[in-house]
Formats: sequence, structure tokens, C-alpha cells
Amino acid sequence: MATEVLWWIFAVLIVAATAGTVFSKSVIHSAIFLIGSLAGVGVMYVFLVVDFLALVQFLIYGGAVTVLILLALMVTRADPSGRPEDTDGPQKPFGVIFGAAMMAVLIGVSVSTNWPNDVSDKAHGIPIDTISEKLFIDFGPPFVIASALLLVALIGAIILARQEEGE
Amino acid sequence: MVPLENYLVLSAIIFSLGVYGVLTRRNAVLILMSVELMLNAVSLNFVAFASYLDPERITGAIFAVFVITVAAAEVGLALAIIIRLYRNRATANVDEAATLKW
Repeated sequence: MATEVLWWIFAVLIVAATAGTVFSKSVIHSAIFLIGSLAGVGVMYVFLVVDFLALVQFLIYGGAVTVLILLALMVTRADPSGRPEDTDGPQKPFGVIFGAAMMAVLIGVSVSTNWPNDVSDKAHGIPIDTISEKLFIDFGPPFVIASALLLVALIGAIILARQEEGE
Repeated sequence: MVPLENYLVLSAIIFSLGVYGVLTRRNAVLILMSVELMLNAVSLNFVAFASYLDPERITGAIFAVFVITVAAAEVGLALAIIIRLYRNRATANVDEAATLKW
């Protein structure tokens, strides 16, 4: 019972933080709300008893990604007071229509589907040793490819962002 | 315990708000933040399905690890491109970066 109450509190917090991210006028406030939303999803992983992914979420999203985004906001001199040219484009009505339609379809599908009764009442949880076994044995080749992808992206980002001679 | 549908609805709400942000925002960094929200909603869905419906093979949780990896690479590259754009055009507004060549 206490778990359910906590779940609902965090769900409301996540939705509020996500709405703040996309509706806030100030870019800095958006970034702060984004940290709340990403950390909230990490808490959801704790509710799902997938501790490893919760840790990864807090470290990579809550730490690294948001720091990168805040850095980019500073480098591009985004105005913290919020200018209309940063936020509301003329395409806003279409965004509202498309987002609302998508939400209606997705929620309708997930509520109307009959999930198997014996499994839909309880999160089983995934212990960390099962994840490591799967990741390093069954999914070994994709894991190596992912590390190569990270290396290539790192080098590419350095080449793109570097100050060239005579520029 | 919380049923599976709650996670699906929560993730649908996060994803739709991300779609709205991508379509409405004009600063490239804000668009990137909305894309992050959408990726997060997808990972939450994967992990919820893995934890409820597939606890033996946990393919969804493994997929979430790869989603996070690709998202990290994507953020790094996108921010390098945005910094490049800002250096050339002195703006991060995607509406002003409309030419293919100059």
C-alpha cells in the first residue's frame, strides 16, 4: 500500500517536471526541470526493482547528460530570462494537436489491451548478476559494437567542435 | 502493487510531451532536451515490459542499456553540431539555420 502511494507521488512529480521542461519559458528552468524528470524515471526503475538501470540512469542522465546540456546552453549564450524566439514557434498549434493525438492513442492502446492477469499485478525485478550475464555473454557482440560507437562519437564530437586554424 | 498499465500510461504522457517539445521549441538545445525525454519514455516502457512480462530473458532491460548508450553518443555529437552552428551563425535557433549551403 505504501509503495502505491509513493508511486503515485513520484508519477505526479515526473509528469509535472516533464511538463515544466517543455512548457517553461526560460531555457535554464527547462534544463533544471529535465534533471527532475530524468531522475524521476530513475526512481521508477527502483520501483520496477531494476537497481542497476536506476544507478545508470542517475549517473549518466542525471549527471553527465544534464551537465553537457547546461554547458551547451552557456556556450550558445541562451538568454535565461526566456525569449520568444527560443520557445514558441508559429507551429505551436500543430504541436499541441499532434502531441494530444499521440497521447490519446498511446494511452487508449495501453489501457484497452488485456495484459495477462497472472503477470500484470507484480514487477518481478531483475537482479544485477542476471543483467551482467546477459550483457556480457548473450549480447557480447552488440556490447562491443556499442563501445566502438561511443569511441567514434567521441572522436567525431572533438573534430566537429574543435577550433580550426584561421577560423 | 502497481499494475503494468500505470507505467505504460506514464511513459505515454512523457513521450507525448516530448513530441510536443520537439515540434514547438525553436532553440536547438531545447529540442535536444525534448528528444531526451522521448528516449527516456521508451526506456521506461522497455524496462516495465521486461520486469512484468519477461523476467527470465530480460531483453527489454538489456535494450534499455543500449538506448542509454546511443543517447549518450547522440547528446555529445548533437551538442558539438550546435556549438559549430553557433560559431558560424551566432544563433542556436533552428529556424534561422535553413540553408543547405552558402
